[in-house]
Amino acid sequence: MSVLSELSHIHVDKARSAEDRRAQRRAAGRDNKSGYLFLLPWLIGLFVITIGPLIASLYLSFTEYSLIQPPTWIGVDNYLRMLHDARLHNALRVTFTYVIVGVPLQLILALAIAVLLNQGMRGLAFYRSVFYLPSMLGASVAIAVLWRQMFGVDGLFNQVLRLFGFEAKTGWISDPRYALWTIILLHVWTFGSPMVIFLAGLRQIPGMYYEAAAVDGAPRWRRFTKITLPLLSPIIFFNLVLQIIGAFQSFTQAFVVSNGTGGPSDSTMFYTLYLYQRGFGEFEMGYAAAMAWLLVVIVGALTAINFWASKYWVFYDD
Amino acid sequence: MTLDRRQFLTGGLAVAAASMGLTACGGGGGSSGGGGANGSANLQFAWWGNPVRNKNTAAAIAAYTKAHPNVKISQQPGEFSTYWDKLATQTAGNKAPDIIQMDMAYIAEYGKRGALLDLAKYGADTSKFVEGSVDSGKIDGKLVGINAGINTPTILANPKIFEQAKVQMPDDTTWTWDQAKEVGAELTSKAGNGIVGMAVFFNDAMLSAFLRQHGKELFTASGLGFEAADVVPWFDMVLAYQNAKAMLTAAQLTEEAGKSVDQSALAVGKAGMQMQWSNQVEALDKASGGEMKVLRFPSVSGKATDRKAWYKASMLWSASARTKYPEQSVALVNWWVNSPECADINLAERGVPANTEILAAITPKLSPDQKNVAKFIADIKPELAPTPVAPPPGGGKINDTLTRYQNDVLTGRSSSADAAAKFVDEAKSNLKS
Repeated sequence: MSVLSELSHIHVDKARSAEDRRAQRRAAGRDNKSGYLFLLPWLIGLFVITIGPLIASLYLSFTEYSLIQPPTWIGVDNYLRMLHDARLHNALRVTFTYVIVGVPLQLILALAIAVLLNQGMRGLAFYRSVFYLPSMLGASVAIAVLWRQMFGVDGLFNQVLRLFGFEAKTGWISDPRYALWTIILLHVWTFGSPMVIFLAGLRQIPGMYYEAAAVDGAPRWRRFTKITLPLLSPIIFFNLVLQIIGAFQSFTQAFVVSNGTGGPSDSTMFYTLYLYQRGFGEFEMGYAAAMAWLLVVIVGALTAINFWASKYWVFYDD
Repeated sequence: MTLDRRQFLTGGLAVAAASMGLTACGGGGGSSGGGGANGSANLQFAWWGNPVRNKNTAAAIAAYTKAHPNVKISQQPGEFSTYWDKLATQTAGNKAPDIIQMDMAYIAEYGKRGALLDLAKYGADTSKFVEGSVDSGKIDGKLVGINAGINTPTILANPKIFEQAKVQMPDDTTWTWDQAKEVGAELTSKAGNGIVGMAVFFNDAMLSAFLRQHGKELFTASGLGFEAADVVPWFDMVLAYQNAKAMLTAAQLTEEAGKSVDQSALAVGKAGMQMQWSNQVEALDKASGGEMKVLRFPSVSGKATDRKAWYKASMLWSASARTKYPEQSVALVNWWVNSPECADINLAERGVPANTEILAAITPKLSPDQKNVAKFIADIKPELAPTPVAPPPGGGKINDTLTRYQNDVLTGRSSSADAAAKFVDEAKSNLKS
């Protein structure tokens, strides 16, 4: 505050006359203009590609819109309909299961590998790349296709099981009891990007803390829980928020593995997949828009809760 | 219900015939008026396909533009799976292509919403088409799609597997659903090597056949053509096939749905029979390296004439209702389905041509597989019942819904009665009035 008021004093001292002040304002205006000019590409993008469609979809969510005919206003009917849409409720259940199970598992694995790689081993860069590889591939169509082959009734996984004498008759992606878990496994496997972020975070923790703890005789596990976890908590929080938002929006894996159906028996019907099916498959773009807004509300609420809860466990060392 | 539909169909026929007569009197109206002067036009032409079709289509377009130098055609080839997303967004943005390759599953969706041109109004010529092949392109009495090739549901059987298992090829003019199940079970038990009697057998086409044989329909002009009680025996039957080990397991069937024809269980020799539309026979033969026997689907009574067969358009030619060049668009479609020149290029790749003269002209040039199919399609003429109406808006995805509830039954998650009730509920609520 004090610095600010000093600055304003300087301003007042400098601009003594009214003319001076006007000139100054003009100069400032010019400065702003060029500022906006430089921002223009981003601003155009923001308004044309982000905010415009956002508002349009909000409007469409209150309409019946088949894409083929112009939208007609139906008020909150789309939102009321969601209350009774059993398949939507199922999609929510599937997606929440995916997020609640998949995200923590993925983060734990990412952290474990990051801690392992942070032991100052030789060839770190190589291992880091190897472990990061699945993340670059995981969201891709090719890997999802591979997954489909591997976990089919006669896929590689079952063939290996049969080698060991198991009677593996079912398909891990085609049996409604297992299909979602196979996709969660695919998600967990793509732990690379949180791992790299964890690794960077681990590097920031001063080694002297560990040395001091070791001198005091703290065992490894204790050093991990009392030093690593608290000092890494902002990074964990960051990863958690990002991964939750990302997981709610996942689409590709389920789309490819289930061939776009969300099957078998809707067991992999992710929210976004159902939204896509309603919008483009069944020409109910108004309903799909309403679904998209429900997703925004859900993800927004969860993120808000996350930030609120972070007060109790995230430790900022500053 | 049935009477209503028949009346509706005959009404539609009369309208089409009348409008055809009118345009014939107009005399070559296709070359005057419309968007450009002297029939010049700039047309967008969209289709989905495979490499062979893309090549043929491009060649045919080149031939047409050579003969009509004032018509320019820009090509929009695509893949089936993404084609519909694109078409929907193009239509929403008022940029629909002038000529649209259409599918039966979507024709009502577009036609009922006024997105497709009434082709009869602009001189569409289907006068040489075989009976039963024009109706499928009519929505509310308007001709919004012209049959681009005849298709009919068949059961394909692999003679090699039958020989290997020493099972007699069934007589498809007399077999019932129960007998088909026994044949399938016999194949499974005798063929060995994990070969199964039937791969994908029970889909929307077979449900339609089953319902028609029981005096119902999948869809009527006004909505769903059946009740829950009508599909309970269907689900029971599917379950009986599974219990008799006549077909693939539920998990295997789910995986089959994600495979292309050339990867399907019949093509790779893992099943003896499979339901297949007739225009896929060639692709299947090529993939398997053998020659499949084309069979009639079973009936309830054991008489082929009772099986209520039908012709379906494998795909249709439509034009956008907002095209600037309606005459020129229809002229191009007319040329496509009625000129020997175009037929020579495309042959039966889109299905057996509905135009009987064209079919006769190209038959000598067809591959043995295509000849086989053409013969089958001609043979079953006496077994045809009225053409089913196009799925109403929201009905195009009924196979997905059916597959889902069928899977519930096959995996024991749901009883036939439960699944039937839920299936009918959902199918009904998907239909838009």
